[in-house]
Amino acid sequence: MSEVIALKGSVLSLSVLKVFSDDFAKVKAVLTNKVAQAPDFFKALPIVIEPEVSPLAPMFLAQLVELLHQQNMMPVGVRTADPQLIEQAEYAGLAVFEPVKVSAEKVDKADQADKSRAASSAASADTPDQGALMVKTAVRSGQQVYAKGRDLIVTAAINPGAEVVADGHIHVYGKAKGKIFAGSNGNRQARIFVQQLDAEMVCIAGLYQMAEDIKPEYKQGWVEICLQQDRLVFNLL
Amino acid sequence: MARVIVVTSGKGGVGKTTTSASFAAGLAQKGFKVAVIDFDVGLRNLDLIMGCERRVVYDFVNVVQGEASIKQALIKDKRVDNLFILAASQTRDKDALTQEGVGKVIEDLRADGFDYVICDSPAGIEKGAQLALFYADEAVVVTNPEVSSVRDSDRILGILQAKSKRAIEGDDPIVEHLVLTRYNPNRVQAGEMLAMEDVVELLNIKLLGVVPESEDVLQASNSGLPVILTEGVSASEAYKDIVDRFLGEDKPQRFLSVEHKSLFKKWFGK
Ligand SMILES: Nc1ncnc2c1ncn2[C@@H]1O[C@H](COP(=O)(O)OP(=O)(O)OP(=O)(O)O)[C@@H](O)[C@H]1O
Ligand SMILES: [Mg+2]
Repeated sequence: MSEVIALKGSVLSLSVLKVFSDDFAKVKAVLTNKVAQAPDFFKALPIVIEPEVSPLAPMFLAQLVELLHQQNMMPVGVRTADPQLIEQAEYAGLAVFEPVKVSAEKVDKADQADKSRAASSAASADTPDQGALMVKTAVRSGQQVYAKGRDLIVTAAINPGAEVVADGHIHVYGKAKGKIFAGSNGNRQARIFVQQLDAEMVCIAGLYQMAEDIKPEYKQGWVEICLQQDRLVFNLL
Repeated sequence: MARVIVVTSGKGGVGKTTTSASFAAGLAQKGFKVAVIDFDVGLRNLDLIMGCERRVVYDFVNVVQGEASIKQALIKDKRVDNLFILAASQTRDKDALTQEGVGKVIEDLRADGFDYVICDSPAGIEKGAQLALFYADEAVVVTNPEVSSVRDSDRILGILQAKSKRAIEGDDPIVEHLVLTRYNPNRVQAGEMLAMEDVVELLNIKLLGVVPESEDVLQASNSGLPVILTEGVSASEAYKDIVDRFLGEDKPQRFLSVEHKSLFKKWFGK
């Protein structure tokens, strides 16, 4: 008999929306503004809400979920340990995730990523099925490029403090010194090809390696990075 | 038609105001009619470096707020013909400048027949710096040979390419120039500072010139004189080259290597 369903554990990469204000009007204004800057990036994006303030008004979470839907995002859960919030989450039909204790270093980096994403001003992909997104000028510190649902080809440098993200493969004809995220929607087949790798971070489908863990021999010339059994594998080309 | 040039950097204290003063004075010496505007509201530095702080009656904010006309506020330089300074306000806060107000001032300067409007940007990448670069046709990005300064310049280049009027309206992009200043070849050789080639490679924009680290700069500023007007010092020569290259002259880069005297000392002891 063929399998009808299978239940498997899986690590997915989800975007976390941290909420630092209990003033819903303010949150609404800031969020709406941010989405307006890059609507494609946020479209259908699964979101986990992580409130950093408490207590929140009884209707806060419900209002926020409604707002996220209006802005075409997909709220899927709440990350909290606060019993009141857990109750609100259940009422709103959201999954509850346990907060994770992360090391100071990771918090820092996450913050940085948040910031550069917020400051992101570079091109993002418009419509899918157009082949790869081509970027011909340097991606500079503080900029993020996102190739949604497609590959990304960069024919210039990716400078320190810049981020390039693609749901598909990423090809870099130049020096890559910033952060590179391929398969960002969870595609484990995605690969990264770089002419000269000196990246702050490389990441495929949520599995990443930081600069200090990348062996010097892979920083010499063309290199391919792929994911094999939850490990990033580097090959010189 | 006036060209608007922003002098910007991201990082503070790298030499924007020094460069604005000398660049503006150098262009005026060539016969162009030049206005240099201090966008650093609340700090006011340019008028000190230009030596006209006692002659400030009305400032940039007064003009933007309609309290004075541009003619009333422009201070004519006493040494160089065709050079005019628009000082920043020391007493007002940063929010006193608005985009429309700045746009109006630039229009007025255009109508007045200025060839160049130099905008001395405040440090940072926030509102003040974005206002200073918004109307720019060209940008002089001032960088020191160190990692944090280069990183900030990279950042400001990204902002020039995304948030300027030209970028937003899809016009021809802002013309970008690099000025690498406070360059100390000894420290570059010792590996304590980035080499010119590394900075140019990373930022990947055209190098207008290298200004050496020199005590003459501080001395000139203290006496209220743009360093370009001091004769016979390297920083002055460097800024003259920068003006010439900006105007299209092809001059080889200078001030990149260790002076012979010190090399001599290194080889043969004192
Ligand atoms: N080539 C140089 N050699 C030595 N000192 C220099 C040089 N250029 C600038 N300086 C000094 O560096 C300091 C900062 O210069 P300046 O005020 O021009 O920088 P700035 O970028 O305008 O600063 P801010 O961001 O505060 O506006 C001053 O003391 C100045 O004298
Ligand atoms: Mg200054």
